[in-house]
Amino acid sequence: MIDPSAITPALLPARAVHKPVGIAKGPGESIHEYTFVSRDDAHELKNGEYVYYELPDPSATENGRSPALRLVLGRVLKRVPLQLYPDTFLGEPEIPPSQVAELVGYDARANELFELHVGIMGYYEPATGSFINPWIPPQSGKQIFLADDDMLSRVLSGKRAGQPGSATIGSLLTREPEAVPVVLSVKDLVSTHLAIIASTGAGKSYLASVIVEELMQPHNKACVLIIDPHGEYSTLDEMANAPQFTQEGDGRGSSYQAQVKVYKPHEIKVRISTLEMGDMRHLLTEMTEKQQYLLNRALRKVKDSKKPMWGADDLKAAIRSVSKQKDNEDGDGGDDASTIRGLEWRIEQRFEDSFTFDATQHLDLPEIFKPGQCTVLPLNEIDERDQQVVVATLLRRLYKARMDTERGKVTAGEYYLPYPVFVLLEEAHHFAPGGTDVVSTSILKQVLAEGRKFGIGVSLISQRPGKLNADVLSQCQTQCIMRIVNEIDQKSVAAAIEGVGRDLLSNLPALSKGQVIVAGAAVNTPVLCRVRSRITRHGGESKDAPEMWQQYFSAESQDSRRRIDAPLNGNREFRLLK
Amino acid sequence: MTIGSIVKSDSHITYVCRVYGPREVETQPGPGDYAFGRFVRVSVRSSAANDDQAKLNLFNNHHEPTTYAVGVIYDTILSNPAYGSLGPRLSNETQVELFSPDYIAEKAILVYLMILGMMEQRVTSEGALEILSTMHGIPLLSLELGSDVETMSDEEVRAFHFFRDPGRADRPEPYLHMGYVPHIIAQRNSLLPMVTLRIIDQLERLFPQHLSLLSIVKRNFAWRLKVETTG
Repeated sequence: MIDPSAITPALLPARAVHKPVGIAKGPGESIHEYTFVSRDDAHELKNGEYVYYELPDPSATENGRSPALRLVLGRVLKRVPLQLYPDTFLGEPEIPPSQVAELVGYDARANELFELHVGIMGYYEPATGSFINPWIPPQSGKQIFLADDDMLSRVLSGKRAGQPGSATIGSLLTREPEAVPVVLSVKDLVSTHLAIIASTGAGKSYLASVIVEELMQPHNKACVLIIDPHGEYSTLDEMANAPQFTQEGDGRGSSYQAQVKVYKPHEIKVRISTLEMGDMRHLLTEMTEKQQYLLNRALRKVKDSKKPMWGADDLKAAIRSVSKQKDNEDGDGGDDASTIRGLEWRIEQRFEDSFTFDATQHLDLPEIFKPGQCTVLPLNEIDERDQQVVVATLLRRLYKARMDTERGKVTAGEYYLPYPVFVLLEEAHHFAPGGTDVVSTSILKQVLAEGRKFGIGVSLISQRPGKLNADVLSQCQTQCIMRIVNEIDQKSVAAAIEGVGRDLLSNLPALSKGQVIVAGAAVNTPVLCRVRSRITRHGGESKDAPEMWQQYFSAESQDSRRRIDAPLNGNREFRLLK
Repeated sequence: MTIGSIVKSDSHITYVCRVYGPREVETQPGPGDYAFGRFVRVSVRSSAANDDQAKLNLFNNHHEPTTYAVGVIYDTILSNPAYGSLGPRLSNETQVELFSPDYIAEKAILVYLMILGMMEQRVTSEGALEILSTMHGIPLLSLELGSDVETMSDEEVRAFHFFRDPGRADRPEPYLHMGYVPHIIAQRNSLLPMVTLRIIDQLERLFPQHLSLLSIVKRNFAWRLKVETTG
């Protein structure tokens, strides 16, 4: 129906069923807007609703049948009632103004009239998957039609629900739930990155989980890593048992079951030998110039030593040897003892008995990244500064692995990753804050800018776009924007994201929980979407404090406390006897 | 009570009625009967039935429905052709009355009516009033010269304003109507808005249960007439 060349006579009668909803009035405020008037008996012309008018297609040949039509789609921007009751009719709260109108002989059944402002999107061209502006607004008097669910399903998203490479995150907000699915193109998502931005409580992690669920379903079988500083994503492990994430084999061993690997906090390790000078500077704070110089030389020395892995002791030895070497070079036998002692002391404090940093262990890339596996790295027990280093080193290693694999430098081993990966980064403003550079900023920028070449897709999730590095945000070509009330955040979203029209962004404070504006590369046009419900349980809910306080005073928990606090309870007695 | 008869019209909806003078009718109407804002009715000869048939009906005690145009008095003119000829007169007033009665008759009270709608009613065999249909707005038929103009009772005024719309299945219960207000406003006459206020006053008396509804219309008119015009 949309493709003019695809109009077959069989389709035409179906089109004739469409009833016009209004009549075009004239041009709107800008040249890409028009207005039309409608009674809107069915209350269906909501703000954000899609309507179209017909335009003859000059390129289509007229071979005897009626000329092909282009359906020029537009979105309702504003709805202005034309017949308002006079103020004086509204003077008595208990008397409806319709009754006053009735009194003076106006048939109150007659419907109101509305003027609707429509922003022209254009007609859909399936070949390019884009909307083409016809540069011609509808003539006054032209019939305006409401786009039907079927048409919208085909033109709004490039992919159909359930197709390989599709991610159905919900349905069009202005229509009945499930009527028009909003489907993201996973290919574009992974190659050009995604940003999910919303105030806290608007449903960011819910939406991210929905996207992960879609990626893990049999039609995608993606390779996903979730960096989860709040430990909200562990409920995704239910995917491993849900039937939606299973595919029966066809007898040749191609059955599929989504795997979920949730790392334990103590398993998240960073091998000290993967740290670079920047990381060291970040971890070992307040080093003097001299200490930095020595450390830099020592680092180079241990790295040159061709030892596959080295620890804090190797580093300390290197510092001592570098210092000795320097003394010999300078020949003045200066007293570097306190400098070295200070440096060693810092290294010991930071790395020895460290929870996160280890001489030998670290996260194994091929273990984290596997197609059909969703890996969750909960960082909630790790200090914020260390989180940045964990993320920076991991991204650096991932980038190197993908680059080396793509370039054919490695064919096996730790750095061999022969498939694209998708990384979800929660609280992205911690890892690439605006205004200041932290240890993870530069690698994140690099991955975002060049990741598409090597198949690394990143999804940034943040509640404070204002605090997020603007370069990083603008690299995300697909945006899911949910409710944002803070004005600074709204402005920074508007500044960083050019794909979303002003008219859609003005809806930001009015969005409810679970409603999202999706724009950018993964959809054909910006859409207002209602996020579908999750298959797995949601883990990021706020705590119900009053409920938990009530729980404390419940009979059972009082009993159990009494049992524990009893001076000689069974356990203690047992231990005494032992 | 009959107050006079139609002598002239200014338009399809504004008519002039000459109030009966002394000795023209049994009970001469007083000023209260043709007061400003008073509802009156004029019977309309709607069908082709002639007067003979009507008389026959009356004789047979048939209660045939009568169609009335309902109007309101919005202006009064006291006509006195003698005013202006102030010269000396040979005969006094008693003599004139005796010798030249038609001269006296030229003095007249003229009231202006505006037609607000139509009402079809009949008297049942029990003698009760039955309203068959009511319509607000401009009547299709015009009145005839010489038709009697009668005052309306409170009950009739109430019936004229409170009825159910025949064409509306969704609203079977009767409700208050003032469907003539828009066309009163459309007329260019400075007295007409004032007559609307007068009408509302009467309706407030007749429909105490609809005070708040009427107050909306009244307040609107009063503001525009009294405040906006003076301010």
